[in-house]
Amino acid sequence: MVDKQGEGARGQPATSAWSVPQGRRTDEWSLCVVRVAEHRDRAAFAKFFAHFAPLIKAFALSGSSLSAAHADELVQEVMLKVWQKAAGFNPEKAAASTWVYTIARNCRTDMFRRLQKFDTQLEAEDVGFELEGHEPTSALHAERGAQRVRELMNHLPQDQAQILAKVYMEGKSHSETAAELGLPLGTVKSRVRLAIQKLQVFMAAGSEE
Amino acid sequence: MVKHHPDSNTLAEYSANSLPAAQSVCVSTHLDHCTLCQQKLAQLESIGGVMLEDTAPVSVDPQVFEDVLLRLDEVPDDRAANDANASTLSWTVKQVRQGNLDKLQWKKVSRSLRIADLGRIDGATEFSLYHISEGGRIPQHNHSGTEMTLVLQGGFSDESGAYHAGDFIVREAGDVHAPAALPGGDCICLAVLEAPLRFTHWHHRWLSPLLQLRAG
Repeated sequence: MVDKQGEGARGQPATSAWSVPQGRRTDEWSLCVVRVAEHRDRAAFAKFFAHFAPLIKAFALSGSSLSAAHADELVQEVMLKVWQKAAGFNPEKAAASTWVYTIARNCRTDMFRRLQKFDTQLEAEDVGFELEGHEPTSALHAERGAQRVRELMNHLPQDQAQILAKVYMEGKSHSETAAELGLPLGTVKSRVRLAIQKLQVFMAAGSEE
Repeated sequence: MVKHHPDSNTLAEYSANSLPAAQSVCVSTHLDHCTLCQQKLAQLESIGGVMLEDTAPVSVDPQVFEDVLLRLDEVPDDRAANDANASTLSWTVKQVRQGNLDKLQWKKVSRSLRIADLGRIDGATEFSLYHISEGGRIPQHNHSGTEMTLVLQGGFSDESGAYHAGDFIVREAGDVHAPAALPGGDCICLAVLEAPLRFTHWHHRWLSPLLQLRAG
């Protein structure tokens, strides 16, 4: 459960809601989501849409996985989910961009399943894991982690960055990545592991196995 | 205390939704019980967030925003109603994750082994629960593809060691083992057998000794 008492700033009057409360994630996109959650604020939603819709469209088109029409449809679905799920966003647990990524990832998976006409009735959320409401100590780690990932991403060797893009943007499995790049599967796996080490992703969570 | 976890490649694929659905059920059920992997997942998802933020934007037709505005007041689909339908895979997965295993359809294979077939996911995977009675053993078998196992209740041991509830184990193709339930209670495991060439073509049904048992 989110500790509403401890957040303090959440109950501020609307007029000062754009100010930056202490101890909270302060980026403007997180504030937009909080505004949407608490006030159903369409102006904040429009601002969020203007920033993220073109990024989600790029995500949809990466690896030429979806047509332009389906990419627009994906943007719509993701943004509707943002509106519907805003109350479940906890700015102390994840950056807004990470939260949107998980929504876009799930919507794209479900769209793939629909387009490929899989007959199994299973949605991405059925097999997903939402960190919301779990393990309170992960909050700080997640926030530090996201900042560190951003700083370190620029220093990744090109071959590792390329593979992360295949995995995270195109949603390719390791074996699909290996096939597309003409690399042995073991090489893809070790590059992913190296990239994760370089991004110090697991530093906060404990030792890498 | 969970001792065996998914490796970082598996968690990375899971965090990008590129793990096949049945394997994802194993990982998500492990995550339900493992705070360490929950933290790792949060970090891995932040890679996706950063990459999304840093990607080159593609302009979106203003009409898309107008369409979204018109739909904001729509009531989302009521998934809970659909989930009440016991024939759906969604429902089955929910029972597995919540530990309501007696609600599933079990089939007695031998004196000490019962199997609940959870259904085909995406046409290329064997996806089942195994219930081994205390003191029971699964006949020795090898794998022509990767086998992913999650211990849900009790524990089992094989040539490589002993495993307990929450443990996540991967056996590669060619491994041979004969798992036996640990003393002290029955053992229930979630197991996914992956056909080696998932994306190229649909495979014939698997003919491992286990499935011959199940068919009989």
